[in-house]
Amino acid sequence: MQARRRWAVLLTALFFGVAHGKHEQCLACHGPDGNSLTARIPSIAAQPRLFMENQLVLIREGLRPSPEMFPFVKDLTDAEIVALAKQISALPAKPTQSSPEDPALLKRGAELGRKLRCRSCHLPDYGGQNQIPRLAAQREDWLEPVMQEFRDKPRPGGDTLMAAVLYGVSDADIRALAHFLSRSSAPAPGR
Amino acid sequence: MKTMVALAVTAAFVLAPALAQDKPAPPPAWKQGMPDKMKDSKLAPHAGKMTETPASDIPISKARLPKGFKAEVWASGLPGGRAMALSPDGKKVYVGTRAIGRVYEVSDEGGKRSVRVVVDKLTQPAGVAFHKDALYVFAIDKVLRFDGIADSSGAQPVDLTEKFNLPKEQHHNWKYVAFGPDGKLYVPFGAPCNICEPPKEYAQIRRYNADGSGMEVIARGVRNSVGFDWHPKTGQLWFTDHGRDWMGDNGPQDELNRLTKVGQNFGFPYCHANGIVDADFKKKDACKGVTRPVALMGPHAANMGVKFYTGKMFPAEYRNTMFVARKGSWNRTTPSGFDVVNVRIGEDGKATVRPFMTGFNESKDSYKFWGRPAYVQQMPDGALLVSDEQLGAIYRVSYGK
Ligand code: HEC
Ligand code: HEC
Repeated sequence: MQARRRWAVLLTALFFGVAHGKHEQCLACHGPDGNSLTARIPSIAAQPRLFMENQLVLIREGLRPSPEMFPFVKDLTDAEIVALAKQISALPAKPTQSSPEDPALLKRGAELGRKLRCRSCHLPDYGGQNQIPRLAAQREDWLEPVMQEFRDKPRPGGDTLMAAVLYGVSDADIRALAHFLSRSSAPAPGR
Repeated sequence: MKTMVALAVTAAFVLAPALAQDKPAPPPAWKQGMPDKMKDSKLAPHAGKMTETPASDIPISKARLPKGFKAEVWASGLPGGRAMALSPDGKKVYVGTRAIGRVYEVSDEGGKRSVRVVVDKLTQPAGVAFHKDALYVFAIDKVLRFDGIADSSGAQPVDLTEKFNLPKEQHHNWKYVAFGPDGKLYVPFGAPCNICEPPKEYAQIRRYNADGSGMEVIARGVRNSVGFDWHPKTGQLWFTDHGRDWMGDNGPQDELNRLTKVGQNFGFPYCHANGIVDADFKKKDACKGVTRPVALMGPHAANMGVKFYTGKMFPAEYRNTMFVARKGSWNRTTPSGFDVVNVRIGEDGKATVRPFMTGFNESKDSYKFWGRPAYVQQMPDGALLVSDEQLGAIYRVSYGK
């Protein structure tokens, strides 16, 4: 089921992928309004502009490996990346839940976010700023593995402080954080 | 050590057994050293920019210099460009980066500069240095040598990684590297944390023979040095070092240090700046035997590149003084740094630090910066290049009546 869905989005993306610098091709994978409907593909609506620029450059340079997305960014110029990031950061974020709510997990996640001082960078509403992504209302099934990856095998070009935040944080706590963050209310776009 | 052990024990309990197996204790997390009263702080590292900024968008006219000096955009379109290495013939400048993973070559072609990428996809290749005609590139996990690169754009790298035995933590392990007057290669290994008792391979400066053999630790207790140079007369090593975070707006200040004896201890993590005892890591006689800095370089100012000026273009008073680039603070409610300063050492051995190139931050009390000066490089004609890591540009500072 999941595999079939991924093929479908890939084909749609290829269909739109003729013109560079158009964000339609991106939304084939990342959801029609930038809020992803596909497991393990992140929502990109209302992500801070600079965060998107940086990640697009890293993916284009092959530093952040994304075999699925790479073909769509490999030939983008810096100017096209800047334009895409601007368009997409203006799209409103919508929550995309992928699991039933668990009140205990929710509470634990909120506590951890405070205790581990995530909010100094991601801001108290978890909406992100500049190079730091929005986490609020992001897909839970994206947040969890991406945090594990930061902790266990930080990628080249990845933020080393972000990796340091998660040193020694257990899988269970990462799950709680992902559960809580995915349910935090979506912040306004345009950062 | 206690804290590392405590962390290791906690980690062993909370992590799945598969993860805990034969893994060394992880370096302390981000909140290490962050006092409770700062838990709602919104201080965060500033964003880097990874896309090109055209020269026409660089407000270089806002840079301020002493009378008689002027600054111009010398090269642009090198996102993330920081440390610079000049080819032996003085015609090409090689520039390292961090996150974007590239090393650039800037060629001067009769008044115009062209930029090409020499190598990319590396993990923070911040270190670049020349030894004879060979360019050394240091990433966090890789060492490459490009022989004869300035004469041949197709030069293929020799991989020297295995010779250098680089430790694996990334944080604070992006490198500034340089060859000393002794022909040895000097390489810093920062502490992989804000504040911790670092594992034994870190918080030090080492030197190696050019082929990676003969490793020697020459300075210890160094938190994060990313700039050094040798005094033109004494041959002594001078290096900058970043003070720790989350101990308040006013310190501990960054340091400008001088190595007078191999093996000196510069205090990290117990003793900072001019004898400030650490707030988290206590030890009896914390500052005993610690070599104090020659100059304090400002709280959280991020002093980076340092070069002694030996050229003839600038007025004579600048000869053998130092230019130090201070990239600018983030862990402080008001800005500090964001400039290039000139440091002079008096007869009495005391240092004076004066502003030289300023205007990168447009407000005294808030963060309104357009550029972040990171490194300086003297050119054969005596002009000074200043790299701006924020806008991916290099400025040329010259003097003339
Ligand atoms: C074929 C599907 C696909 C297409 C088309 C695609 N992406 Fe992606 N994108 C992904 C996947 C999968 C990831 C997660 C990569 C990873 O695992 O690190 C991703 C990651 C990202 C990220 C990082 C987000 C984060 O939260 O870390 C950004 C930004 C992004 N994409 C923007 C774009 C833009 C802009 C386009 C159009 C030029 C685009 N994507 C096209 C699949 C796609
Ligand atoms: C020092 C600043 C800082 C702190 C503190 C911090 N982060 Fe981050 N975080 C970042 C940056 C910067 C990125 C972008 C990743 C990159 O550039 O490699 C990021 C990325 C992430 C991502 C990936 C999101 C995506 O869509 O790709 C997650 C998830 C995340 N952070 C969660 C957390 C959590 C949970 C905490 C607290 C435990 C936290 N962060 C604390 C700076 C920080």
